[in-house]
Amino acid sequence: MKPVRSTKPRARKEGLVVQTLPDETLVYDLDRDLAHCLNQTASLIWNRCDGSSTTRQIARAVSDDLNHPVDERFVWIALDQLGRNHLLMDRPPAPISGMNRREVMKALAISAVAVPVVASIVAPTPAQAATGCLGAGAPCSSSSQCCSGVCDGSCIGGGA
Amino acid sequence: MNVRSANTAGHLVAKALRGSWRFSTTSPLTPADFEATTPLLYDSGAAGLGWWTIRDTALADTPSGELLHQAFRLLTLQAAIHQTKIEKVFRHLRAAGVEPILIKGWSIARRYPEPGLRPYGDIDLLVRHEDYSNASRVVENAELRDCRVDLHPGIFELVDRPIGDIFARSKLVSDSPGQARVLCDEDHLALLAVHFLKHAGWRPLWLCDIALMLESISDDFDWDVCLGSDKRRVNWVLSVIGLARELLGASINDERVAARATAPEWVSESVLGNWNQPFVDKHEPYNHRAPMRSYLTRPAGVFADLRSRWPNPILATVTVNGTFGKRRRVRYQLRNCLQRARRLVWPIDLAQDPTQ
Repeated sequence: MKPVRSTKPRARKEGLVVQTLPDETLVYDLDRDLAHCLNQTASLIWNRCDGSSTTRQIARAVSDDLNHPVDERFVWIALDQLGRNHLLMDRPPAPISGMNRREVMKALAISAVAVPVVASIVAPTPAQAATGCLGAGAPCSSSSQCCSGVCDGSCIGGGA
Repeated sequence: MNVRSANTAGHLVAKALRGSWRFSTTSPLTPADFEATTPLLYDSGAAGLGWWTIRDTALADTPSGELLHQAFRLLTLQAAIHQTKIEKVFRHLRAAGVEPILIKGWSIARRYPEPGLRPYGDIDLLVRHEDYSNASRVVENAELRDCRVDLHPGIFELVDRPIGDIFARSKLVSDSPGQARVLCDEDHLALLAVHFLKHAGWRPLWLCDIALMLESISDDFDWDVCLGSDKRRVNWVLSVIGLARELLGASINDERVAARATAPEWVSESVLGNWNQPFVDKHEPYNHRAPMRSYLTRPAGVFADLRSRWPNPILATVTVNGTFGKRRRVRYQLRNCLQRARRLVWPIDLAQDPTQ
């Protein structure tokens, strides 16, 4: 196996609204109007991206946080997803170069730590709702979804 | 009708939200009931609470559970964004010498166990009458355009008490965005109760707000201040408190109030009927097809629209300043119709209408 390239990733801070919940971190990208959900592993890795720690150091620190050994490849997997979702200052180099998919999956399968996941959070389509349009207070992603015609993250109107 | 035995959508909504404002909750819903209730909760703004009640149950892993979980996440982020807007609004208004009181919205949402449980959109602010024009200029500022500020120089819900007293009793929330000023708990509960009635209680979330307030008030809560001295208003507030206990299982910490707080059966029926379709476009005035005045020149469809304009009994009682008693409210509904007919002939400025 070829050695993994080292880098010192830095988390993006500007233009984000971050809410930390007990087992996940929610991030809203104000520039792109996109919401993301980071599971605990991804969240811990993202928080360690201070621009001065290498991926190896991040893996060690997250291992301490979780009280379980965390493979450096986990960090690369997280960085790949964080980079693609514009949550890093710079996109890291190809995340798991030098590893083939089987090796990665093998590493993940035997780990006690959850695979890092950065998932998008989307509002449902009106078809999933009870009426043809969403009522006040219902999460929305565009004004056309709302009965009131006004979406501000959630539908506005009706004396909420 | 025994409101506890029926199994309409409204009853299911009530069942789903029973105790939902508490930190520790469990869901009494069957998977089938949960499937049927989810869209109603979602569209009426109670998706966050819906998630909260099922989060530790097997229902959380169903597609509907995931839908509510996603909604909870989005609402949590939205709450954080709104807080920055509230901070900005208070900063600008204070710089202009205006000290507003934040009502509804965040001021009640902050009491829930998590910020994503209670969505809100507008920033409703109560300002002194003499500050209104100055405050209006401030909120029209380009920097505040994204904040959706709704200024109130007075408010129907608290019209029974002097605005000076309301301001004197208001309080600053030290750990809030921009040290927001909010109503004292007594005025706040009265406002929530009357607001619920003013909209015929069609949104289940509003009754959860009242249930939450009832269970979070302190021992030194002054019920005399809350209920006020206007006998009709006392009747209104006590009726809503009784309703919160009956439909959602809210606890009332004062024995005297608990004994007096009852809602007539027709009020429960009416609210549960509204909860069958807890959507804004199904209720007055949003369900009206066109202004009545427009039918004077183009009468087609007037009879169909008239049917939808027969007033809700709760709304009718409030608009004619009636009381919630055991008798059916037909006379209030007729008076409400006459009132509206009079307005059609002699239009009044909506700003002068206290219920607007």
